[in-house]
Amino acid sequence: MRMPVTIIAIIVIAFIVGTITPWWSVAVVAFLVGLLAGHKPGLGFLAGFLAVGLYWLCLALYRDAANEHILAGRMAALFHLPGSYTFAGVTAIIGALVGGLAAWAGSLLSTRKR
Amino acid sequence: MAWNTTNGKRKRPNKIWGYILVVFTTALVYILDHPLGALPALGPLLDPVHGCWANAEPASFDYNLNEDLPALTGKAIVNFDDQFVPHINATNDHDLYYIQGYLHAWFRLWQMEMQTRAAAGRISEIAGEKALPFDRKQRRKGMVYAAENSLRAAEANPVTKAMLDAYTAGVNQFIATRGKHQLPLEYKLMGFKPEPWTNLKCILLLKYMADDLSGESDDIAHSYLRTLMSEAEFNLLYPDKIPGSSPVVPAGTPFAPATISVSAPPADSSSFVPISATDFESLPQHGKGSNSWALSGSRTASGDPILCNDPHLGLNLPSLWFQVQLSAPGINVCGASLPGAPGVVIGFNDHISWGLTNNYRDVKDFYEIKPVEGDAGKYWFNGQQVPYTTRMERIAVKGKPDYVDTVQYTIHGVLLYDGRYHEKFSTRKLLAVKWMGYEASNEYMAIYKLNRAGNYDEYVDAIQHFECPAQNMIYADRQGHIAIWGQGKFPAKWRGQGKYVMQGLDSSTLWGPVIPMAENPHALDPAQGYLASANENTTDTAYPYPYTGDFVELRAWRINELLAKTAEVTVPDMQAMQGDDYSILAANVLPMMLDACKVYKGKYLDSLRAWDYQLRPYSMCGTVFQHWWKILYSSIWMDDLPNVPGETLPLAERTMQLMLTDSTLRFYDDPRTAKRETLADIIRRSYYQTSQALAEKEKKGSLDWYKVKNTGVRHLAKLDAFSYTGLETGGWGNTINAMKEDHGPSWRMVVQMGKEIEAYGIYPGGQSGNPGSKYYANYLPMWVKGQYNKLHFYPAGKAENSAAKYVWTLKPASK
Repeated sequence: MRMPVTIIAIIVIAFIVGTITPWWSVAVVAFLVGLLAGHKPGLGFLAGFLAVGLYWLCLALYRDAANEHILAGRMAALFHLPGSYTFAGVTAIIGALVGGLAAWAGSLLSTRKR
Repeated sequence: MAWNTTNGKRKRPNKIWGYILVVFTTALVYILDHPLGALPALGPLLDPVHGCWANAEPASFDYNLNEDLPALTGKAIVNFDDQFVPHINATNDHDLYYIQGYLHAWFRLWQMEMQTRAAAGRISEIAGEKALPFDRKQRRKGMVYAAENSLRAAEANPVTKAMLDAYTAGVNQFIATRGKHQLPLEYKLMGFKPEPWTNLKCILLLKYMADDLSGESDDIAHSYLRTLMSEAEFNLLYPDKIPGSSPVVPAGTPFAPATISVSAPPADSSSFVPISATDFESLPQHGKGSNSWALSGSRTASGDPILCNDPHLGLNLPSLWFQVQLSAPGINVCGASLPGAPGVVIGFNDHISWGLTNNYRDVKDFYEIKPVEGDAGKYWFNGQQVPYTTRMERIAVKGKPDYVDTVQYTIHGVLLYDGRYHEKFSTRKLLAVKWMGYEASNEYMAIYKLNRAGNYDEYVDAIQHFECPAQNMIYADRQGHIAIWGQGKFPAKWRGQGKYVMQGLDSSTLWGPVIPMAENPHALDPAQGYLASANENTTDTAYPYPYTGDFVELRAWRINELLAKTAEVTVPDMQAMQGDDYSILAANVLPMMLDACKVYKGKYLDSLRAWDYQLRPYSMCGTVFQHWWKILYSSIWMDDLPNVPGETLPLAERTMQLMLTDSTLRFYDDPRTAKRETLADIIRRSYYQTSQALAEKEKKGSLDWYKVKNTGVRHLAKLDAFSYTGLETGGWGNTINAMKEDHGPSWRMVVQMGKEIEAYGIYPGGQSGNPGSKYYANYLPMWVKGQYNKLHFYPAGKAENSAAKYVWTLKPASK
């Protein structure tokens, strides 16, 4: 049951602080939430991965749809990727990896009882 | 996992792994936060909040805006029309230029910064060592020196000082506030931040244009060519005026006698410095040119004058131009502005319209400097040892220590080649270069006054301030007048001065005094009822001051031929004429080429025999002719004149004339063969080579002219993903529709100056410089098809506009 709460917490906090902080604030948020949540390390990673990945994917896809794929299409071409969705996917995976690793570290360092 | 079973066992290894992961994650974040080789920093770039995704402008973005701006003195309204062109309504000049700066920055900040950085030789600072040769060249050319001179002139004049100050404040207002959140995508890709705008940058932009348009010189190549041939032969190949030229100022126009006496040329021996073959390699290709013409009411259906202009410049994205209307008390002007420069550069107001083409009269000359042996700080002039003026050019290089170049200045200008600087075209001789662009001039005064000019006299008064780059300035007004001026600041030269590299030993080769502006070539309301310019020679031989220049004639011939036949002309006729693909070169020279091949058969020849000389996008004949001509032209000249930069070989039009009139020219023969080839032999041989090459090409793809030519509009940072290539356009540099690979009609404008001004325009791009905006290149498809936007021109002083798609309401910030 704590998993969805952790994921939602990471997304909400990252979203709120994200407007005024640099991109790597997602790592800090995922780490701290992971630390407080005290999941098993594997689950901690999964929570951080899914949270930041989903957050970045949704935000990217939302912006891409509103933009009618103009920017992401060009960025995809710049990085020799097949299309705007792939580019959104790459964005999400980078965010997910950083979030996952940070939350994993948090879980490992957590003193909270499981 | 085993160590998960009890608290005591779990804790320690977990902590260690935890710390390791913290370090690992931090390292990953660090790596993603920094550029990796050519790869930009991916973290900040991909960040969907602030990164590139923030540049994904929603297609339905609401551009309406209410904003308080600190420096405004009154309320101002900006109406964006359905083509996304802003119409600024301000209550005074200050607010007008302040808002123009704010707008330019909003849509084009990165481009403005890059173009002015390029002008100043400051690209290495953001791009690293690879840009150092470019930066050095800009510094060597004295670009900053030139801009600083003109900045002093602009700031000494209270009108232009106020204009520039207001514009600069507007740009900086954007950078200081919105620039932080709305950083253009390219800044994120290149990993740097905007620096504050300055008045100097406004001037640098104009010097960048001046360098582009008047910064080339054939002097060195001509000196070399003169060592390969006699003076008579040189004059045959490179006549000062091509026979049959249709000059900018119509032949027969009377000129006032010269008020400045022109000195006699010094003895020939001293007027030309020989350059040997090993002294240089090649020149960059240039494809710049422009068309303009104006018809008086006697030739139009409406009875009102029509003015047409299409300057051919580098085709880039973000586009060179930004459309705008500027309205304030005393000014109501509409047209194309340059991001980075206040005012409208080409356009029209309530009374007059004007256009520009480049005037290639030579204002850049090379001098050989004789150093004082044993004293590196001095050179000889008039028998005296004269010390150089030294300027240290400090170039910041990203990731490296600053590079310092010492550039020396002589009485003959910048010592470009001093043995310490090497480039493709450098010489071993010590050469200084004198350029009109170095002199303090105030072109912004010309723009300021032009934008407000109400009649011909005010127009003439305005353009007096336009000194460099020299321009053919065409004019039409609502009173029915048409006019043209070959405008610029020109020195009185002796005949032939500056054609070759000159000796710099004494004052005999110095430029003479400046020719009074009133004596610049011009024509007002000529009897023929039209005026035209297309980079051709400025005058016939009646003009009292000798001059030389890098003129071309083919487009001018075609334009004059078409205009001479005009009657009852309409705006759509003129739009069609701007898109004219007719190759006057082919029309003149192809019949003789086909005649030489009359015994030959083949599908290429058969098609050419029925061809209408139109270089249409899908024309195969266009491809065949262009290819054949290229090979033939090289066969005539390149074998005899090796190592001559391509652009300095005789002009295509001169080659054409010689082929038609002189079958004995020694250059037809290929000196590498024992046989003596005639012109017909060379034509046949080049056709054989062409047919072979084209058959090969056809196997791989089509021979459609547009595909072979590959006109493109390319992103300024050369990013293919942000560029458009393979555009379906016809024409070539020598047709009116002057579409080359990366140069072409950068702004097409047709204005009918009637009771109601009817204006049309288009440029290959869009108002927004953001590759993530739907306004990035939305004009491009229309431009490719030769279509135009009707330019909305609203009455002065009427800020409320029901046709506006978006409205900006800007108010002074309450203190």
